[in-house]
Amino acid sequence: MEAVSVRVPLHSPYPQHPDTLEEACAENFRAMAATLCFALSRLPADGRPAVICMTAAQTHEYGRIFGRGTIWARHFPLLLVEPRKAIEALWAAEQALRSGAVAGVAIAVDDLTLTQTRRLEFAARHGGASAMTVLTRPGGLTAARRRWRIRPAPSAPNPFDARAPGSLRIAAELVRSRTEPPALFMLEQDDETHRLRLADRLAGHGLVEAGRTVAAA
Amino acid sequence: MRLRALNDAARRLGLHREQADADARAIAPALLAAPAEPARELKALRALAAWCGCWSPTVALDLSPGGFEGLFLDIAGVDHLFGGEDAMLSVMRRRLKAAGIPCRIALAPTPGAAWAMARWSGKETSRLDSARLRDGIASLPLAALRLDEANLRLARLFGLRRIGDLYALPRSGLARRFRDGDGLGLVRRLDQALGLAEEPLTPVRPAADYRAVKLFAEPVLDMAGIEAQLPALAAKLAAQLERDGRGAARLRLTGFRSIGTTATLEVRIGTPHRQTKIWLRLLREKGLDRLDPGFGFDALALSADRTAPVAAVQPALEPDSARPAGALSVAELADRLAARLGEAAVTMPVPVPSWVPERSERRVPAQDVIAAAGLRPVPSSRPRPLLMLDPPEPVEVMAELPDSPPARFRWRRVLRHVARAEGPERLEPEWWQIQRRPVPEREEFVESGMDEFPLKNQGFQGAASENQGRIKGSDRTRDYYLVEDENGARYWLFREGLYDRREEKELVPSWWMHGLFP
Repeated sequence: MEAVSVRVPLHSPYPQHPDTLEEACAENFRAMAATLCFALSRLPADGRPAVICMTAAQTHEYGRIFGRGTIWARHFPLLLVEPRKAIEALWAAEQALRSGAVAGVAIAVDDLTLTQTRRLEFAARHGGASAMTVLTRPGGLTAARRRWRIRPAPSAPNPFDARAPGSLRIAAELVRSRTEPPALFMLEQDDETHRLRLADRLAGHGLVEAGRTVAAA
Repeated sequence: MRLRALNDAARRLGLHREQADADARAIAPALLAAPAEPARELKALRALAAWCGCWSPTVALDLSPGGFEGLFLDIAGVDHLFGGEDAMLSVMRRRLKAAGIPCRIALAPTPGAAWAMARWSGKETSRLDSARLRDGIASLPLAALRLDEANLRLARLFGLRRIGDLYALPRSGLARRFRDGDGLGLVRRLDQALGLAEEPLTPVRPAADYRAVKLFAEPVLDMAGIEAQLPALAAKLAAQLERDGRGAARLRLTGFRSIGTTATLEVRIGTPHRQTKIWLRLLREKGLDRLDPGFGFDALALSADRTAPVAAVQPALEPDSARPAGALSVAELADRLAARLGEAAVTMPVPVPSWVPERSERRVPAQDVIAAAGLRPVPSSRPRPLLMLDPPEPVEVMAELPDSPPARFRWRRVLRHVARAEGPERLEPEWWQIQRRPVPEREEFVESGMDEFPLKNQGFQGAASENQGRIKGSDRTRDYYLVEDENGARYWLFREGLYDRREEKELVPSWWMHGLFP
């Protein structure tokens, strides 16, 4: 089990409602699936569909979205946009956000300029939607309201088989936010609803303090 | 084996169609023959038919068997555009010749007579008007009437050789003796050739029912001029559609260049409608500015090639509070994205009844799915990855034989230790399907301590050639394992082939990475 070194104030709550633009950065290449899962789970569930933009090159690199594996997703339908170029992905994301037809867009990009993030933010505000940029390395200046750093965490114990992985867990570190202090949250897949929830909601605020979640596990 | 088609040189040697290959080789030992490829010939004929659209809106394929294929062009009312019939024929000949296509062209009042003249008159270009029709084809052999083999043989028995021989005979007798067999009977074919019976042509591209055309006095060269014409064209088309209560599902903008060619732009609309503003926007997204006018457009046509009934809906008295003002529907968004990025780039996953993971889901253009509402993807209750590698990538695995989960594996050059694993989930091949898994293209990734991101532009080589041999047996049983490494990253691996079934399959079981879980 991994020791958690970040100490955070106990009463920093998990921001349930997504802001217009947030950034989720995968800690490494293997964290891409967890980051996409986190990004989709953060988009508002208001009955509108969600859009995932990945360029063809990224699909080649990380794999393509598999609909049968989205049991935790809260959005229907999932619109998958797979343009050839990154600039087209940005265009598609902006159009989707501005249209007001979707709840949000998760867009995987390699690099973003401040202007591009500003445009996405404006578009999201215009359409009443949320945008999650999924990065593979920490970006520079950004208009994102929150910056997350995502890595997969060892899964919960499987009650039926100690040698098998249990429900998925994601460690989401809030690196920067305009309104909250930095914090590390442990998210876990609920075994009934399949949605992501805070791992130890009953025990507190889902904050990992000196490995408390780990102890509970 | 028989000869199906010959070139001039072969004909000069005295070879002919339907001659046995052995006979032909006896006459010309140096004969070069290649197997006939009807599918490719048909494709070429279709391409030629599309090209012939520059002569006439009605181009029909003539699929007469036995190497008699050709094209029918209905040029009624068209010839004056090319300076009369003779001028049209000569231009046609010249341009086909320039394209390297040997041709025989005949112009006649009926398709049957034109067919006969083109193939049996022996002239490269022939022309018959209605006054000379009867006499013109009288000297041609009976085969020129497109009769089937049985009728031809019967006619030979009766001593009937030329079409003219039939004119004097009583129709009732002919009709009784020459019945419709594989093809039409002799009397009907004769009537078609002489114009006494109608012969409908089925055009390759049916003319659009809804179409607005704008002709220009001077060729329009600049995009601004073309764009300025569009709203009026769209309004004209929308009025036609509205009259019939229909909406456009596919729009086509055709620019007719002054040099005789066309430029087209096609837009698909998921949910048919007749809102001209959206049409124009879609056309712009599709690349209106890339429409090349060449030396200018003489005319512009906007047509609705596919339409569907659309009922007018009364606008709501109150704005819908759930949707922001001016919000688009998902269908409109999908149309807009697909117009610019292409239909294949805007998709939704649709379940397919198959348990082979890569076949259990299909990407369908979002426009189709939205139109057929209710195709909800069914997330699997079994563990399935969020990201699927297509094609699967080879991994080196250390696992206990015969079917324990991996203990360690090396994927994209990084060694990972398995902390926990679940499996196997055994998937047998679907024996009723032919399986052919594509060969993975890459394995060349750079290993570096801190940063595991694969470097771009590394050039993927290596693994493909090594695995070429192993891929052959992809119709093998797969054992899937969900494994988690010590950092919590979850992978979906499978082993193809079973160790205890080695005697049936000569190949060593191999391991593949198929997906990544969140």
